Amino acid sequence: MTIRFPSLEFFQALQQRTKEDKAVFEKLGTCDTNFGVKIGSQLYTIDFEVYECVDVREGGDPTRLDFVIGGPTEVWGEMVKAILQHGGADAKHTLNTLSHVGDVLRIETSDAEGHDKFYRFMASIQEFFDQARHLDVKVA
Amino acid sequence: MSYVAPKDYTQDPEIVAKIMRTISGQLELTWMKNIGERAAFRPSQTARGLTLDDINQGSYSPDHLPEIVRHNFSMAPRGAILPAGLPSLGYRLNRKSDVWADIAPRLYEEGKSRRWAPAHDVPWDALAKPGHSEDVAIALRQLSTNLTSVGLVACDTAASFEYRMNQEFHEIKFLMCVQMYDAARIAEAFRKRALAGDGQLGVDCAELGDFLKTIFVADSYAEASVSMNVLLFSWVQALGRHIEYTATNRADTFLGTRLAQDASRFIAYGVAHIRNLLRVRPIEVERLDNHLDLAENALVGALGAPAMIEPLVLISGGFEPVVGLYERTVEEYFGRCLAAGLGDRSARSPLPEFLRMLRS
Repeated sequence: MTIRFPSLEFFQALQQRTKEDKAVFEKLGTCDTNFGVKIGSQLYTIDFEVYECVDVREGGDPTRLDFVIGGPTEVWGEMVKAILQHGGADAKHTLNTLSHVGDVLRIETSDAEGHDKFYRFMASIQEFFDQARHLDVKVA
Repeated sequence: MSYVAPKDYTQDPEIVAKIMRTISGQLELTWMKNIGERAAFRPSQTARGLTLDDINQGSYSPDHLPEIVRHNFSMAPRGAILPAGLPSLGYRLNRKSDVWADIAPRLYEEGKSRRWAPAHDVPWDALAKPGHSEDVAIALRQLSTNLTSVGLVACDTAASFEYRMNQEFHEIKFLMCVQMYDAARIAEAFRKRALAGDGQLGVDCAELGDFLKTIFVADSYAEASVSMNVLLFSWVQALGRHIEYTATNRADTFLGTRLAQDASRFIAYGVAHIRNLLRVRPIEVERLDNHLDLAENALVGALGAPAMIEPLVLISGGFEPVVGLYERTVEEYFGRCLAAGLGDRSARSPLPEFLRMLRS
C-alpha cells in the first residue's frame, strides 16, 4: 500500500517498523525521548520508550517536548526521497547534516537538556526515518 | 607501604577457633539473622530489564542519603548492615551535593545499552574509497590525533576522582566507570581512525594540552565536572556533529554520530550535577565561575591552534563553516551553563571576543 508523505500514516508505518525491525533498534540501545517533527506548519509528536516508538500523533505542545526538528516540506521531502533512493539517508541528508551549520532543518527547544537528547539518541532517530526504505512512499 | 591490617589473621586465636568450629559443622549463622530490609525489586519495564532505579527503594535508595556521609567510609555497599570495626578506605568525596545527579543511574544504563565496538561496528572498509582528497585525509588524522588525547585525559580525569568517592554514591561511581569506558573508546576509535589504512598520527597540540591540563588538575571534583563534562564535551559533541556533517564515507558518518552521542551523556550528567550542587550550595558558583574563566581561556588557545582550526578548515572546505561551528558550539555551551544554574557567562567569558575576532 502506498503511503503519502507527509502524513500521520507515514509516521504510524515507521512506528510499526520499530517493532518489526526490533533487533536493529535494540542494537542501537535504549532511546527515551518525546520529540516533535514539524513539516512546514504541521507538527507530529513522536514518543520513544526503551527501544521502540510507542506513539505518534498529529499536533502536540512543543513546550512539553524535548525538541522539535522543523523545516520546510520540500527539505523533508528531499530527505525522504534520499532515504528511498539510497536505502537510508546519504551523507547530505542525515538529520545531523541538515540541522548543523546552515540550519536547513532547525532544532527548536526551550530546554538545553531536551536539546541534548537529540544528540544522545540521534542514531536511533535517524534509523527511525531510515526505516522508510522498507515502505512504499509517495512524496508529495 | 602496603596497608597493614590491624590483626594478624593467620595467628589470631579467636579467628582460628571460629574456623575450626565451622569446619566441625557448628555454623554460627549470625550473618543470616542480620539481613537488610526486604522489598520487591522487579523490572518496572520488562524490555528495560532490572535497572538501578528499580532497585533504589527503601533503605537502598539514595533519597535517604544525608548531605554529608559520616556513617560509612568503608567498602560496604549502601544499605548493607555495617558491623563495628570496618576499615576506612579514606574517601575524600563524602558530600552528596559534590557528586550527585538524579539522572546518573539512567545515564549509566543508557551508556551500557548504547555501547558500540570500534573494531567491528565502524565500517572501516569504507575508508578504502574515502571520497576526499589527501589533504583532507591528513586533516582528519590530525583531528583524530587531537581526539585521542581528549579521550585519554577524560579517562584519567574520571579515574582520578572515582576512587576518592564514597561508596554510598555508587551510582555516580558506576557512571564514572562508563565515562572511563566511553573516553577510552573515543581514544581507541580515533587512534584507529588516524592509523587505519596507510595512516599516521598527527602532531601533538600544546594548546590542547594546556586546555586538558586545566581540567585534569582541577582543585575539586565539581570544578573538574563542569570543565570536563560541560565545557570539554560541548566541544567534543560539536566536533562529532561536524565530523558527521563533513563526512564523505560511512566510516566517518558513523564515528561522528557516535562521538556526538557519547559526548552528550557527559554533558547531561555535568549539567544535572552542577545544577544540583548550586541548588544545595549556591556559594559554589563563584569557585566554578573562576575555574571556567581559566578553562575557557585555555579553550580559546585550543580552538585557535593551527593543529585544531586548520584541519577543520580543510575538512569543511573553507573558514566560514568553522566559524559557524565555533559560534554554534559556544552558544549551546552557554545555554548549558544557564541550565546548570551558572547564569549568563557570556559577559565574563573570553569566548565571545574570540568569536568576534574570527568574524572581523
